[in-house]
Amino acid sequence: MNLHENSPIRVHDLVKVYRGKSRNPVKALDGLNMEVARGEIFGLLGRNGAGKTTLLRVLSTLIEPTSGTAEVCGRNVVKEPYRVRQSICAVLQENAVEVFLSVLDNLSTYGRFHSIPRRQIRERAESVMAQFGLEEYRHQKVIDLSGGLKRRVQVAKVFMVDKPVVFLDEATTGMDPVNKRATLDAIREHARQGRTILLTTHILQEAEELCDRIAIVDQGRCLVTGDLAMIKSMATRAYDINVTFERMRPEILETASRYPLLKLRSTSTTLEMSVRGSEVSTFALLDALSHVEPIVHFEVTSASLEDVFLELLGTSGKEGRAGEKS
Amino acid sequence: MKMILAVMYREYRIRTTSLTWLFYDMFMPLTYLLIFGIGFESAFAGGVAVAGDRMGYNAFFLAGVLSMASFGIAINTAYGFFVDRDNGIFYEFLTYPMTRSEFLVGKILFNSLLALVQAAITITLGAVLLGLALRWDLIGLVAFGQVLGTAGWFFFLTTFAIRIRRNDMFNTFLNVAYFVLMFGSSMFYPVESLPRWLQAVSFVNPLTWHTDVLRYATIGAGAAEVVALEGVAFLCFLAVSFALAVQTIRNPLRA
Ligand SMILES: Nc1ncnc2c1ncn2[C@@H]1O[C@H](COP(=O)(O)OP(=O)(O)OP(=O)(O)O)[C@@H](O)[C@H]1O
Ligand SMILES: [Mg+2]
Repeated sequence: MNLHENSPIRVHDLVKVYRGKSRNPVKALDGLNMEVARGEIFGLLGRNGAGKTTLLRVLSTLIEPTSGTAEVCGRNVVKEPYRVRQSICAVLQENAVEVFLSVLDNLSTYGRFHSIPRRQIRERAESVMAQFGLEEYRHQKVIDLSGGLKRRVQVAKVFMVDKPVVFLDEATTGMDPVNKRATLDAIREHARQGRTILLTTHILQEAEELCDRIAIVDQGRCLVTGDLAMIKSMATRAYDINVTFERMRPEILETASRYPLLKLRSTSTTLEMSVRGSEVSTFALLDALSHVEPIVHFEVTSASLEDVFLELLGTSGKEGRAGEKS
Repeated sequence: MKMILAVMYREYRIRTTSLTWLFYDMFMPLTYLLIFGIGFESAFAGGVAVAGDRMGYNAFFLAGVLSMASFGIAINTAYGFFVDRDNGIFYEFLTYPMTRSEFLVGKILFNSLLALVQAAITITLGAVLLGLALRWDLIGLVAFGQVLGTAGWFFFLTTFAIRIRRNDMFNTFLNVAYFVLMFGSSMFYPVESLPRWLQAVSFVNPLTWHTDVLRYATIGAGAAEVVALEGVAFLCFLAVSFALAVQTIRNPLRA
């Protein structure tokens, strides 16, 4: 098997400097490395201006990198841009719809551009219109649709075609919860069929729910890359454990304080603790506590992606090159 | 080829699903010829002179209407580029499985076809309604001139449509280009009758070259050697514009 069949997206030391005429040069990508495996849903997270869109622009051959290499399905984006385009479809961050065409025409012209046989175009258009709730608007010109509906048309288009690699730049922005759900379902379904999906989002819950692996990007580099569990384990506060007893006794606190806890607080009946998973076994802790006093109720919540995100990027502000710390 | 057809299909759908555009594209030049031309025909009852030959204003103006038509199509298309970029669809196109040249060629083929249909309608109805005596033996040259003319202006204006980012600047540019190029050319009046400085402007104006070739091809007006030279000059303009357009579209984000 060729390497690219395992990793349809490979990026090595990628640098992109924007050199606008009147502006100072901006280093949007600064030696970024990553690989995305076949059939994987890979999420790019990061603050505004981190370089996520720039990476997708390079991968979808809209702009050329300043240095470094990027390959899609084994094809170099600079040397064989046409080949790369044959294996991708993209929802860009900018809105991209044919405002002067109807919803149906938007879908069918897209199908033609991606060489879908004419017989199948109508069929596929019907099915994505049903999936994205666009049937009642089929003959309406897109210029007359609301912002969220326009976005739906744009996103629906990529599900007309079966390209091995899909780029989604904040695809669900502006969608209502029902359609957001439909979009997430469609993304999952396509990944299951073996398509590789690289997406960006600011909705961390969405990334958590959808992505097999995640990279947190900052100032043009990947700060961390890994699966959800691995990234979550980077949070200082890995688990919150709340244990309720019939009554609080000093021995309970005493037992708990024998463990290296990040946080320990007690109310009249409840003990609130935070632990790092690698340092404390939750089961051992609960077991020890239950020997002191019967446990009425307990709750264990793991850190959310948001906790990690805020911890890595939240306070660093402008001075933050958190990557250099880790 | 499939991609070129897909680009053409897209242009076709946009044109045919809007009656306004269809009217504008098909009949606007004819309307111009019938209203403006007839108005001037009666105002200049003595006709106009080109290279020593006198002719009626309608016959003279026919070539102007044709070159205006292909210039107008190119302006509309360049404007379309601008609108497409505003809607983001322009960037999405560039991620479709086609080369940049296929994209440009598809657009230009469609617009040249449009210019040909438009010219056919204008010439036929012009000849029938106004009784113009045309050089039918040179009709192939008219067709050729329409296609190359549309292409030249399309590539020229595309470069600006992609490079100019701001709406107000682009609108100003189009208006100025429209005004200066059209009135500083042989479109509406013979260059010989203009003051010296305006003659100089119109001799370096590709719209004059294009119009003069069409005038020769429609009614045989002008000196053949001069017209041939103008044709060659226009081809050079076309080649340079094409090269610039391709170079511009290679880096569409100007990044
Ligand atoms: N066309 C451009 N010309 C010049 N600079 C640009 C251009 N596009 C982006 N930049 C700059 O490059 C950097 C990265 O931008 P990019 O759009 O990739 O960020 P992003 O991670 O997608 O942000 P967001 O979450 O806001 O979409 C920013 O500093 C941005 O200002
Ligand atoms: Mg972005």
